[in-house]
Amino acid sequence: MTMPSPTVALIASGRQRSLQRHRLVIAVLLAIIAALFVLTLSLGQSSTPLGDVARVLTGEKIAGASFTVGQLRLPRALLSLLAGLSFGLGGVAFQTMLRNPLASPDIIGITSGASAAAVFAIVVLAMKGPSVSVLAVAAGLGVAVLVYGLSFRNGVAGTRLILVGIGVSAMLESVIAYILSTAPSWTLQEAMRWLTGSVNGAQLSQALPLLLALIAFGGLLLSRARDLDALRMGDDMAAALGVRISTTRMVVIVAAVGIIASATAVTGPIAFVAFLSGPIAACIVGASGSLLIPSALIGAILVLGGDYVGQFLLPSRYPVGVVTGALGAPYLIYLIIRVNRGGGSL
Amino acid sequence: MTPHTLNASRISAGYGDAEILHGLDLAVPPGRITVIVGANACGKSTLLRAMSRLLSPKGGQVLLDGKSIHHTPPRELARTLGLLPQSPIAPEGITVADLVSRGRHPHQTLFSRWTKRDDEAVAAALDATQTAELAERPMDELSGGQRQRVWIAMALAQQTDILLLDEPTTFLDISHQVEVLDLLTDLNRERGTTVVMVLHDLNLAARYADFLVAMRDGRVEVTGAPEKVLTQAMVRHVFGLASQIMTDPVSGRPIMLPVGRHHLTAPETEPQRKEQRG
Repeated sequence: MTMPSPTVALIASGRQRSLQRHRLVIAVLLAIIAALFVLTLSLGQSSTPLGDVARVLTGEKIAGASFTVGQLRLPRALLSLLAGLSFGLGGVAFQTMLRNPLASPDIIGITSGASAAAVFAIVVLAMKGPSVSVLAVAAGLGVAVLVYGLSFRNGVAGTRLILVGIGVSAMLESVIAYILSTAPSWTLQEAMRWLTGSVNGAQLSQALPLLLALIAFGGLLLSRARDLDALRMGDDMAAALGVRISTTRMVVIVAAVGIIASATAVTGPIAFVAFLSGPIAACIVGASGSLLIPSALIGAILVLGGDYVGQFLLPSRYPVGVVTGALGAPYLIYLIIRVNRGGGSL
Repeated sequence: MTPHTLNASRISAGYGDAEILHGLDLAVPPGRITVIVGANACGKSTLLRAMSRLLSPKGGQVLLDGKSIHHTPPRELARTLGLLPQSPIAPEGITVADLVSRGRHPHQTLFSRWTKRDDEAVAAALDATQTAELAERPMDELSGGQRQRVWIAMALAQQTDILLLDEPTTFLDISHQVEVLDLLTDLNRERGTTVVMVLHDLNLAARYADFLVAMRDGRVEVTGAPEKVLTQAMVRHVFGLASQIMTDPVSGRPIMLPVGRHHLTAPETEPQRKEQRG
């Protein structure tokens, strides 16, 4: 048994290579995020020299730049970053657990549930701040339980859960539209936040609760990364490898809903970021290793990049959700066509 | 290697309200190859699932070394008892080496990362199944027989002393079926691994089993050496089929020839036809 075999070297070097590749991908994604972050801080309607940006960030007061960078752009960039990470992480957790790219929280109604609760809390109950987030998380969990319960018949089949989720999602979106239409003083800008998601009017005070939710729920998800990865081979195979299936499911659902709903309560349901990040990450890193971190980084790139494009590169200003929605819709159509070719089974 | 004992004691199990196993007893002989046979829907797969913790029995218990597997932490159990389910899913684009590496899951924790021992276990599993030359290939590109060998390699990388397999030869042509069964026999003879598997083909079951288990309607009907279990009476009772049993000139084991309604030449088969109809 202890004979040195050439296969051991083959395995070790192969693993080393894929580890290096994984690290390289993460480094490149981080670099893109950093570039987009700096771009958002320095180049808008007016451009701010990078030196001034750095001085504002270290707390120096500069006429003009302190306001545009410190008050307008920094909160916007931070919220984009945090919301993107959250959507990317929560989305891929669901997609991996249910082994289906369509099983993303923004397709199966969890995002719209959180969004509807946030609109209700703000417009009808006149609530503010973290309590809106708490309500959104609770509503997200409620929708998750509802969709799961409605699609349960001798176990949960992926297709049934997705169809039920799409129905529930449509219902909740009409609730959002109804509440917005009954609020006469509601501005179009704010309405867009709850319909497609936006980081307009971001405030620095919104970033901290989102950061805390990301650390808590994200940490919980990352601690389950290996079990989640094993679930990709089917529940039976994962169980045979010693994964506690129902515990893992429970933890993943609570953490992913928590992270998605916390972000939704602040930025609204930024369209398709949760849905797109995982598949893009899978395309880049392949099947080896966990997709959680690459997908979170892709989410951040989508939101930071989408917001910049929506603000400055299009003929008029659009909220970020319009841009990400335009990216996501074709992919959704492609997936549905592919599913139908396969005889309708997912 | 100390041979582990695996016993099912009066287990009842099923899905929802449907009970499929009715108070079943089975003692798996340690260090041997056990093959479970029976008609469709007789509970073979359910038995494997119950014996590997995938399904909680409603009554009775499954004992590994005298201890209930449902009271053993799953990760600890997965280091002794492995299972290859009927249709595992290969994640899209995964390579052979990557998939086999996942067999090391129960040996790792959140903080203990990949070690040299893990590399050695994966390499040994690839060598044993002759899949080392496929290591860098994606699973999607392999043939059915190659893919099944890779899944077995993954189960081997788990390094369990007991290995349960649910129909490991389904969808394989005959040469690959023999290849897989030979591989499992090597594993049993060289490492003393206890193998328990469900097979459809009675003749391959009789050839490769040390211990043959015939099931019917959620109960174990006959167990023992293939010579004792594979009889005309058993085939009629368990499968409702008339048959002739002969000695396989290749292996010296019993071989079953089914008797249908057509293509009967030998006159001695006639009485059985009448008997079956009457």
